[in-house]
Amino acid sequence: MIRARGVRKSFGSAIVLDGIDLDVESGEVVSILGSSGSGKSTLIRCMNGLEKLDAGSITIDDFDVSRPKDLAEARKRSATVFQLFNLYPHMTAVQNITLAPIQVLKRSRAEAEAAARTLLDSVGLGARADAYPAQLSGGQRQRVGICRALAMNPRYLLLDEITSALDPEMTAEVLNILAQLAKNGTTMVFVTHEIEFARTISSRIVFLDKGQLVVDLPTEEFFAADGGMARPRISQFLSKMRKD
Amino acid sequence: MRYTSFTPYDFVLLAQGLGVSLALFLATSLIGLVIGTIWAVIRFYRVPVLTPFIAFLAELLKNSPVLVQLFLVFFGLPALLKINVTPVEAAVITLSGNTAAFIYVIAVSAIESIGRDQIESARVFGLSRWQVLHHIIAPQAMAFAVGPLTGLLVNQLQVTSLISVIGVVDLTKIGNILNLRTLKPFIVWTIVGGLYYVTAKLVALGGAMLEKRLRAHTAWKGL
Amino acid sequence: MPFDVTILAPHVPFLLKGALLTAEACALALVGSLIIGLLVAALRTSSSPLLSRAAFVYVDLFRNIPFIVQLFFFFYGLPEIGIYVDAFTTGVIALSIAGGAFSSDVIRSGILAIDTGIIEAAEVSGLSKPVIFRKIVMPIALRTSIRPLGSVFINLVLTSSILSTITLNELTGSAKIVASDTFRPFEVYAVLLIAYASLTYLVSLAIGVLHRRLNRDRMPEVA
Repeated sequence: MIRARGVRKSFGSAIVLDGIDLDVESGEVVSILGSSGSGKSTLIRCMNGLEKLDAGSITIDDFDVSRPKDLAEARKRSATVFQLFNLYPHMTAVQNITLAPIQVLKRSRAEAEAAARTLLDSVGLGARADAYPAQLSGGQRQRVGICRALAMNPRYLLLDEITSALDPEMTAEVLNILAQLAKNGTTMVFVTHEIEFARTISSRIVFLDKGQLVVDLPTEEFFAADGGMARPRISQFLSKMRKD
Repeated sequence: MRYTSFTPYDFVLLAQGLGVSLALFLATSLIGLVIGTIWAVIRFYRVPVLTPFIAFLAELLKNSPVLVQLFLVFFGLPALLKINVTPVEAAVITLSGNTAAFIYVIAVSAIESIGRDQIESARVFGLSRWQVLHHIIAPQAMAFAVGPLTGLLVNQLQVTSLISVIGVVDLTKIGNILNLRTLKPFIVWTIVGGLYYVTAKLVALGGAMLEKRLRAHTAWKGL
Repeated sequence: MPFDVTILAPHVPFLLKGALLTAEACALALVGSLIIGLLVAALRTSSSPLLSRAAFVYVDLFRNIPFIVQLFFFFYGLPEIGIYVDAFTTGVIALSIAGGAFSSDVIRSGILAIDTGIIEAAEVSGLSKPVIFRKIVMPIALRTSIRPLGSVFINLVLTSSILSTITLNELTGSAKIVASDTFRPFEVYAVLLIAYASLTYLVSLAIGVLHRRLNRDRMPEVA
C-alpha cells in the first residue's frame, strides 16, 4: 500500500502540502480532486520522489521514498504517467516503452519488445509501434505514455492530470483505457479534473484544498447529496467544474 | 654566450610583444570594422555586381584558414606583382580583410534583424534610403551587433598570434624566442598564454560594458 | 610571371597526401573533441559545484588562449616532462582539447534545452543517472546541436592548418613545400585557399543533410 503521513511541502513561502495523511490499498482507484494550486500534482510528485518532503513520510509497500536506498525499490513498484506525456523524443513508441524494462528490470530486448507490442496493441496503437512521438497525436502519445508505465508491471499507477493537455475526443481515448485498467484491478492514484469520469472508475475520492486533505470518502458517499457534496467548498468546486 | 635563465629584460620583451599584438589587433579591428560596414552598406543598397562579389569574398575569407591567407599575401603577392610586402604590412592586410568578412556578416544580420516592415514604413514616410540607414537602422543595428562583435574581437585577438609565423615580432614570437633561449616551455607558454587570456578577458569586459550602456541608451530613446 | 595554375599539376599527388593527413587529424580530433566535449558538458551541468567550476575553468582557458600558443605549450612542453610523441599525435591532442572546449559549450546548451519533464520521466522509471545521461540526455543534446557542432568542426578543419607550424606536413605544410619548390607561392596558396573553402563548404552541406536526417520526423519544432 501507499501510505502518506503528515506530508508537508512548501515552495518558498507558499505552503503547497500542509500535513497530508492518505492510504491507498492494493486494488483501489483513488481520485484526487481539487482546484488548481491545491497541491494535487505535488502530492503525486512526492510519491514518486520527484519532490523532496519537508516533513512527514511517504512509503510504498514500506519503502520510504525519502531514503535514497528505498527510493529505487519504491520506484520499481510504482509508475507515473505525466500530464505532458514526457516521451523520449528521439525514440520510437516501442523504444520508449522498452528502455526501462531492459535497463532496470534486465529483460531481454526481444522479450521487452514483444511485451511492448502487446501493450500497444491493447491500446489500439499496434500499427504505430515504430513511430516517433512527433508523428503521433496527443492522445496517441498519452496512450504510449500509459504503455510505458504499464511495461514496468507496476503495483501502483500514478496518473498526474493525464488528460489535461488533450482535447475531448483524445481525452475519451485515454479514459477508455483507464476504465479498462480499473476493471482489471490495477491500483491507481488519479489526479484529475474529470469529475464525471472519476465518479465512474474511482473507489474513493479525495478532495484537496489549500494543501489540506478536506475529504476522503468512498465515491458513493462523496457524490451523495448529504455527503462530501454538501460541504460548501466542494459543491462550489464541483459546480464550477461542471460549468467548464 | 647563451643566457639560459630568465632576465629582467625578458619582461620588457614580453611587454613589447604584447604591445605589437595589441597595436595590430586594434588597427586591424578598426580597419576591418570600416571595410566590413562599407560592404554591408553596399549590400543594403543592392549595388549590382559588387554585392554578389562581396558575398563571395566574405564566404571565402570566413571559410579558409587565416594562416593560408597570410601566406598568400606575404609570399604570394610579392611573387605575383613583383612588389615588396613586409611582415607587418602582410599582417595588416590579412587581418583587416579577415575581420572585415566577419564584421560584414554581423552587420548584415544586424540590419536584417530590424525587419522589413520598419524599413518600408519609413520609406513610405518619404525618408531616403540613406536617411533610413542613418536614423532607423544604424542605432538599432549597433545595439544588436555589440554582443556578436565582442565575441568576434575576442576571437580576432587570438588570430593575431598567427602573424608570428611570417616573422612579426608579436607576443607569440617573443614566446618562441624565449622558449628557444631558456628551454623552459611550460613557464614561457604559460606566461604568454596568461597574457593573452587576461587581454581577451579585458576585451570581453569592455564589450559587456559597452553593450550595457548602448542597451540603456536605446531603451531610453525608445520611451 | 603570369598567373598559371597548371604549373601545380605534377604536385597534386603530394598535396593530396597532405590533404589526407589533414583529414585524418581532423577526423581523430573530431572524435576527441566530442568525447571531451560530452564529458566536460556533463561535468558542467552536474550538481557538484566543484566539478562544474573546474569544467568552466577548462573551457574558459582554452577558449581564450590562441591555439598556436596551446600547440607550442604541448609540442615543446610534453618532451620536457618525458612524454615523447610525434607531431601528429601532439597536433591531434591539442586540437581535441581546444575543440573539446568549444563543443562542450555547444553540448551544454543542448543539455540545458532538454525539457525537464523528459528527464523526470526517466528518473521515476528507475533508470540510473549514468543510463539517463547515455540513453536520454546525450542523444537528445547531440541531435539538437548538430548544426553548432558542425561549425565547431569546420573551425577545427581551418585550425588544423596551424599544425604546419610544428613540422607536420598536412595540407598547409605540404603546400609550403610545393611553394618553395616551384617558386609559385601565389598559385599554390590561392589554390589552397579555394581548396579549404570548398572542403568546409562540403562539410557544411554534409552537416545540413545529417541534421535533417537525424531530426526529420523525429523532433520537429514543438508546436
